[in-house]
This record gives sequence, C-alpha cells and structure tokens, in this order.
Amino acid sequence: MFELLTLTIVLSAPLILGAMGGFTSERSGVINIGLEGMMLMSACVTALAAAKFGPVGAVGLGIASATVLSLLHWLATQVYRIDHVISGMAINAIGAGGTNFLYGKLSDPSHNGSISHVPVALFSWLAFFVPVILWAYARWTRGGLRMLAVGSDPDKARLMGVQPLRVRFFGLLATGLFTGLAGSQLLAYTGNFTDNMTAGRGYIALAALILGGWRPVPAFLACLAFGFFSALRIQLQGTALMGAQLPSEAWASLPYLVTIIALAGFLGKNRTPAGLGKP
Amino acid sequence: MVLLIVGALALLAGLMILSGASPLGSLVTLLKGSLGTPAAISGTLRETTPLLILGLAVFLALRAGLFNIGAEGQFLLGAVACTWVNLRIPGFGGLILGTLAGAIAGALWALPAGLIKAYRNGHEVITTIMLNSVAVYLTTALVAGPMKDPKQDSPTTADLVAGSRLPWLYDHAPVQLSSALLLGLILTALVALWLRKTVAGYELQAVGASPGAAKYAGIDNRRVVLAAMCSSGAIAGIAGVVQVLAYEGRFYAGISPGYGFDALGVALLAGGSAWGVIPASLLFGVLAKGGTSLQLDEVPKGITTVVLGLIILVAAALRYRKVSTDV
Amino acid sequence: MTGITKRFGAVTALDRVDLQVASGTLHAVVGENGAGKTTLMRILYGVFGPDEGTVKLSNDQVRSFKTSRDAIAAGIGMVSQHYGIIPALSCLQNLILGAEGGAILDIRSAETRAQTLATRMGFEFDWHQDASTLSPAGAQKLEILKLLWREAKIMILDEPTAMLSPADSDALFQSMRKLASEGATVILVTHRLPEVMDHCSRVTVLRGGKLIETKDVADTDAKRLAALIIGSSSASAAPPSDAIAPPAEIGAPMLELKDLVVRGVRGEDALKQVNLNVRAGELLGIAGVDGSGQRELFQSILGLVRAKEGQILLGGQDSTKLKAIDRIRLGLRAIPEDRHEEAVIEEWSLEQNSALGLQRLEPLSTKGLVNTSARADWAAKVAAKFNTKHGGLKLPMGSLSGGNQQRFVAGRAIESQPKLILAFQPARGLDIRGTADVYAAIRERCREGAAAIVVSFDLDELIENCDRIVAMNHGRIHQPSANESRDRDAIGRLMVGAV
Repeated sequence: MFELLTLTIVLSAPLILGAMGGFTSERSGVINIGLEGMMLMSACVTALAAAKFGPVGAVGLGIASATVLSLLHWLATQVYRIDHVISGMAINAIGAGGTNFLYGKLSDPSHNGSISHVPVALFSWLAFFVPVILWAYARWTRGGLRMLAVGSDPDKARLMGVQPLRVRFFGLLATGLFTGLAGSQLLAYTGNFTDNMTAGRGYIALAALILGGWRPVPAFLACLAFGFFSALRIQLQGTALMGAQLPSEAWASLPYLVTIIALAGFLGKNRTPAGLGKP
Repeated sequence: MVLLIVGALALLAGLMILSGASPLGSLVTLLKGSLGTPAAISGTLRETTPLLILGLAVFLALRAGLFNIGAEGQFLLGAVACTWVNLRIPGFGGLILGTLAGAIAGALWALPAGLIKAYRNGHEVITTIMLNSVAVYLTTALVAGPMKDPKQDSPTTADLVAGSRLPWLYDHAPVQLSSALLLGLILTALVALWLRKTVAGYELQAVGASPGAAKYAGIDNRRVVLAAMCSSGAIAGIAGVVQVLAYEGRFYAGISPGYGFDALGVALLAGGSAWGVIPASLLFGVLAKGGTSLQLDEVPKGITTVVLGLIILVAAALRYRKVSTDV
Repeated sequence: MTGITKRFGAVTALDRVDLQVASGTLHAVVGENGAGKTTLMRILYGVFGPDEGTVKLSNDQVRSFKTSRDAIAAGIGMVSQHYGIIPALSCLQNLILGAEGGAILDIRSAETRAQTLATRMGFEFDWHQDASTLSPAGAQKLEILKLLWREAKIMILDEPTAMLSPADSDALFQSMRKLASEGATVILVTHRLPEVMDHCSRVTVLRGGKLIETKDVADTDAKRLAALIIGSSSASAAPPSDAIAPPAEIGAPMLELKDLVVRGVRGEDALKQVNLNVRAGELLGIAGVDGSGQRELFQSILGLVRAKEGQILLGGQDSTKLKAIDRIRLGLRAIPEDRHEEAVIEEWSLEQNSALGLQRLEPLSTKGLVNTSARADWAAKVAAKFNTKHGGLKLPMGSLSGGNQQRFVAGRAIESQPKLILAFQPARGLDIRGTADVYAAIRERCREGAAAIVVSFDLDELIENCDRIVAMNHGRIHQPSANESRDRDAIGRLMVGAV
C-alpha cells in the first residue's frame, strides 16, 4: 500500500510539473502542445550535463534548454504569428530529433548520466507546492491577473494598457522552468536517458490541464489520478483483476480516453480560456 | 523572416559542428543516400508513398480548417483492419474488402474528433493526439494478443499471402516500384479535382477559409467538419492499407515511425493545392531515406527530424506573411 | 489636437482637424457615421498614431501616443463603443486591470476604494461576480468606474448611451456633469443632439473627416447643429419622392413571423414574441439601437439559429424548420452585417466570392459540379452592378477596399433574383453616392415584386429610404402609429422603449 502511494507520487510529479508549465502558457493564451518536446529536451540535457556540471548544474542546464524551446514557441507564435499548434508540433519535432542527435553524438558511455545526488523526493515536494503557488499567483498578484486577462481577451487587455506580448513572454518563461523541472525529475527517477523517454507524458500533462478546466489545483488532482493509475498498472502487472487479465495497454489508454470523454462535454462545462490561440 | 531562416540554418549548422560532424559532408551523404543510385531512388519512393497518401489526408482536413494530427492513429487502425480481413480472406477479394475495411476503420477513428469538434467545439488537435495514443496501445495489444502470429516471438501478425498484396510495377531487387505509388498519385488527382470542381469541395474550402462566411452562405459547418474529418480519416486508413499491402505484408507494433507527424509537415508545405502534396512528400521521403544513410556515417537520424521541424516553422511563418500582405 | 490627419489606405479619415477642449467641461464631438469622430478619439487614446498633426495636453507637453499605455499614463481614459469588459474576470478584476497598484493585489482595500467610487456615482456592484453577468448598462457603468479608478483627467465617452435606457442615460450624464464640475474633462462622442443640448457646454462638429465648427452650446440650437452635421447640400435636398409615396403595388406576403421567440447567445430570450409581416413590393426599415435583437431576427429568418417558439413563413410557406440553404433556394438573400467575417473570404478571388451563398443554384453549378465559366460571367455582372473597382476578377477579395467589397456584396445579393433581401447596415463603408445607389437598386427589386428588410442604426438613413419603419427594442418590434409613421422623434421614442 505504502509502495503504491510513493510510486503514485513519483509517477505524478513530472505530469504535475508539466501541467503547470501548460497552465502558465495556456492561461496567457498560448496553446502549448510542445510540452512533450520541452520535457524531453530537458531530460536529455540534464543527462548530458550531469557528468561535467554536477547535479545542480545539470538540472539548471536542463531547465535552460526547455526554456530555449519554450521561448522559440513564443517567438514563433507571438512575433511570427505562426499557428500555435503548428509551432507546438515543430517544437516536439525539434525536441525528439534534437535529443536523439545530441545524445547519440555527445553521450559519454563511461558515465550513465544519472543525477543520483539530487533526490527524487525534492521534485515531488516541488510538484505538490507549485500548483498551490500558481493558484495564489493567479488570484492575488498583478502578474496573475494580467495573465488571466490576456488569456481571456488580448485585445481588451491591450486597451487597458496591458501588453500581451510581454505577459506571454513571462508565461512561457515559466513554462520553460516547469517543463525543465519535469524533464529533470524524469531523468532523476529513471537514472539514464533513452530515446523518447517522455513517452507521451507531455500530452498527458496537457490532458490533465484540460480535465482540470485550466485551473491549477484540479489539474494537479487529475495528474495524481493519472499517476495513480500508472502506479496501479505497474503493481498489478501480470495479476488478474476480477477474473480477467486486462492488458496493460488498457490501463495506459485510460488517461487519454478520460480526456476525450471530458472534451466531449460529459464532465461539466467547457472552461476553455476564450483568448486561447488569439494573436 | 530572413532572421528566422538564417536562425534555423545557424541552429542546424551549430548542432552539427557541436557534435563534430561536417554539415556539408552530411548533406552530400544525405543526397547520395536518397537519390544517388536507382536503388536509393526506389527506396526514397517507398518512403514517399505513405507520406504522400497521409499528407493528402491531412491536407484535405486542413482545407476545411482542421488539423488532423490523428492521421497516425487512423493509419494504424486502417493497417490493422486491413490485415485482419486479409488474414481471413486471402486473395483479390481480401485485397478489395481489406482496403474497404481499412478506409472505414480510419474514418471511424476520426469520427470522435469530428463529432467533438462539430458539436462541442473541442479542439481537434487535442482529441486526435489522445486518439493517436489510444490507437498505438490498441493495435499493440491486438498484435501482441489475438492477432499475434504464434510462430513469432515479437508482436507481429503472420505474413499475408502474395495474392492479397498490391503488385509491383517493376521488380528487380534492389530496384522496386510498387503500384502503391501510382495509387497515391491517382488519389491525389481525385482530391485535387474534387476540391476544384465540385460544389461540395467549394463548400469544404469555404468552411476552412471562413466559418462565418460559410454559415451565411447556407453551408452547414458541422456537417462539413464531420465529413472532412471522416474523409481525411478514410484516406489515412488507406495509407495504412497501402503500407501493409504494398510494402510490409504484415502488421506489427511500430509499423509507423511517426508518419502522422511528417504528414502534417507535408500538408503544410503543400500550400493551397493538392498537387503540392507530391513534391512535399518527395522532400520528406528524401530526408527519411537519406537519414538512414546518415546513420551509417555516425550522424544520428534525429537530425532529419530537427530539419523537418524547422522546415515546418519556416513554411508556416512564410504562409502567414503571404496572407498578411494580401490584406 | 492640431492639424490631425489620418489616412486608411486611399481613404482620408481625418483631414487637418483641430480640437481644443477646456478642462473641467463636457465637450461634445458630433457628426454622422463616418465623419471621423471615433478615429479622432482613437488617436487621442493612442490606439494608433496620426499621419500628421500633434496632440498637446494642458502641461504643454507635445506627445504622440504610440500605444494606449502612454495615453493612460498621461491621464486619458476611453470608454469605447465595444465594451472593454472581459467577461471571464470578476467585476473587481476588470476594474483594477492595468492599474493594480502593486505586484501583490490588495483585494480588500481595492474593494473598499471601488465601493467608495461606486457610491459616489450612485452605482451598485457585486464585486466578486463574473462580469459576464452584467447587463449592458451595468457594463457601461463599470467602464466609467474604470476611468475613475485610474483617476483619468480626460475621459472620452464614445456613444455611451447607445445601449442605455433613458433613465440610465440621465443618471450617467448627471454623474458626468458632477465629474466635470470637480475638474475632469469629458469628451462625449455622440450623434444624439438632445444629449448635446441638455448636458454639454461646447460642441465640435465633424463632417467627412473635416472640422466644421466648434461652438458654445448656448450659442446654437439643435436645428442649426443638425444643419451643420448634415451639411447644407444634402440638407436642402428633399428626400427622394418615391420613398415617401406609397410603393407601386403591395402584393402577397413574402415573410410572416408569428410569435417568434429566439434565444440569444447568453441564453436569454433575444426575440420576444415577434410578429411581423412583409409583403411583396415593400421596403421595410428596422430602427433600433445596437443589440436590440436585430441580429437574432436576421439569423432566425436566414435559418442560422433555431426558433425556440413561433413560426417563420417565407412566401406563405412554413419555413420554421427549413435549412439555411433551402431558404436561399426560396429566394432569400442577405447582405450580412460583418463583411469581413460573414460576407466575403478575403483570400479568395472575386470569382470565387461571387458564388458564395449561391453555390448550389443554377447556373453556378449543375448536378453538384461547379460551372467555372458561368461563375466568371456572374462575377463580372456582380462587379459591374455598383461599379466595384477591382484589378481583375481573379485577384483576391482582400485586394479591394472595404467600400468596394461592400459594393460587391450588395451586388451579389441584389442581382441574384432575390425574393426577399435582408440587409444589415448595407451602407456601411459606402459614400453618399454608393448608399443612394444601393437603396435605389433594392427599391427597384421591390418594385419588381421582391421585398426587403433593412436594419440600420442610422434612423435618418431609414426615414430617407424605406417605405415603412418599425422600431426594435429589447427583442420586441414596435409599430409607430399611422400618423407618426415617419416621425423621427416618435420612432426614436419607440427605439428606446419609451412607448
């Protein structure tokens, strides 16, 4: 039982951090399907940097690399006005291809690239605090209010003297920070980098954000639920459930199916931020 | 704009130099590996075929203003459905029925995304991404379970008999040319003509260009969205069918190395006409085939994916500029 | 503001306009639609800069505001025609947005201050409620509080009473006068002369982008102002005689609405038990302030929104459940309100646009196939109707100016054998000549046996051109009595619900 609990926390942490990265981006009006690529890039850079720069430096560089991709997304969508989805796809491609290339070229076989000195628990604590912090930020601060305003209606916000470009820049900066942390956590947990090791976690984080109605605490709960089902899957591997052995793929599909059902409007009202994707 | 292109090139060269590979040398390797010999060209065309048909599927949806990121999942479902039929009904009948089953499976896999878009205004990108993941798990479970060839260790179906496969037009290994490519070209022509010549095609593009204007023109936006999504899914399903019947001869987990994503790039590069899908898919085919040669040169294949991502960014930015100067 | 000139493409919206406003006054800027009032105010507020001219504030600093941010910093605030309220935020959040007074929000003291401001103005708000629940009048009041919150010294109000009831308007002006007496400068943009006469101290008249005159209100009267606004040439021209004379023949009913109820976007009843008959040969004008239900009326007749209750009969046939495309087949044609979003596709060629809405009719298509040569001929005919200026029918619609696009859209509806024309502000973007041409063409169709309904927010335009006028207010249609059928004031009263 205790094992299940700790496993749930460890497996939800990258989802939570990723979803919070999605929150600061999407709530300021930038659709972000590039979370996956940013997390992956951070995991790879953390692994590559671990040998040379130590655990803290490695995590810092991981965050920096995710931030570079995040700001590329800002540049593409805000300055060049590229469709947010297309830019997100491109970010994911650069993340997937870039990590394959970098790791293939630069990895040091004598060092497995783990950052064992940074305890996984640290990330887990962060993952539990960040949603509350973001909730308070959106509610009680100027920056939070402006973020919500720009995400809801950039034109009207502009008339009130708020600069959407600036607000979104900081939103995506935070996205880089959180997805970077998510990637580092993933690496800290698994120990070494493998191709496409995020395996759709960025998308699940996005799904949780949507399920949570773009609100940090409900999104956090959705991530916990997803993490719990993954943990359950690992625990139940090979054991029969209610007489039948459910293929592990069925468990793996669960978050996606729940999200589709949520999008179909069977789980309450549509809370999509009104300014999502608007220039 | 120049800044973006120069930036993209600089990033690429930077990556190459950082990792100790020569950018120019790699380019030569890439071109030699994809276009240097008849065998290389035939390999490139083989890579091009699924990208052509899938690109066409994504293109059609794009004309209706929809991003069908779900082409990947529809491809898998089409491929698995076709294989299932063909394993039971070998021969020409299976070929026809299997193709039909693949198209229907692809359309059905796109249907939820279409319904949610049309009636709940849920973003099709999110739903199709979710459906893709489910498709991967579903087909993997099928091919590891009920459809698995007991004689094999890896999750794969049995091989199809030669009679149920698409014929080669030219077959002197290593140079082979499948009728699948011809099929793809015919499909492209059909889509291009349909969009240009029929009222339904006109209406579909009106919805894509301006949903408001389409509504006032008496067009039922929801029906068009639904029809476009399902047609796109059907074509993507056919791409899966063709991959099985022409090249693979079986279904296995990981049959698509991410064709769905490349197809989005193909459709974006294609521009305003379905004919544009042909050169765009060829470019992606060259990168895919050449990428394998790079690997032999100890340049990881991922670099081509980075190139694709950058191409998509630059193409999309150029497109925006074109639209904005028109106004 | 001195020598302000602003051009949009080939159109000169403002031509060397000067405006001096003394502090502590209520200053009106009046003029017809398209006279350049709003453009001038937007330059003052920094939405865009002038091509020529300077803006000077009391402290003698010459500034050209590049963004609204600069203007706000200089103490200028604007309430625009389209409300700047963000529905997803609470009333308090809307109030403080952009002037939060610190990185950490002090909600409690903000609420106290907001309450003080509201009480001073005699307003009442539930500060933590979503702004989406506000009525138009409530939103307008919140906008004014936003200006007070920012301690704006110069307040620009652009048509502030367009959506307010007479009682609310009076209350608004009282508070404005109070603010002016406390030293604030209020610039009121309006085309309602009674407001100017009753509440303002000075008035500036604009016409066709030019400054006509600035006067003390005490030195003039409504009649003289009206003459200045309209200009001597068109003021002396009598309305076309055939507009006032009854139309040649009133024929069979083309459109009958019976107890029609339609839901609006917010779920309220936007149309309440509407009954309306339009007969062949008739050109009906619908007067009313923006948002009275005109949009829902049009959309329900076109078949774009479903009727909740009641019936729609087209040409005597029950069409309540008919699809939009089938109503087009019955001869229904629209000149939509929002040209850019509803009437044309800017990236498409003129030829492709000419078929929009008519794509399933002969000869533009047969058996589901597009007939491109018929379409080319048709596009040429549409373009010729109102002399649309274009560089070629294969060029994108976006290469045309707004006025020429509007000519094309009007031509497309009027030339395509309409039985019933629905026109929403058909003169938008057209000059006087173009407006006259479009109305003349619609009248011609009516004389041939069609019918037409025109919605306009410009009552004078309707009085000048329509056979019959009804007024809409809060989702209801009011018919003026027979002896007041063309009485501007009587219809004006119906428009604001003062029956």
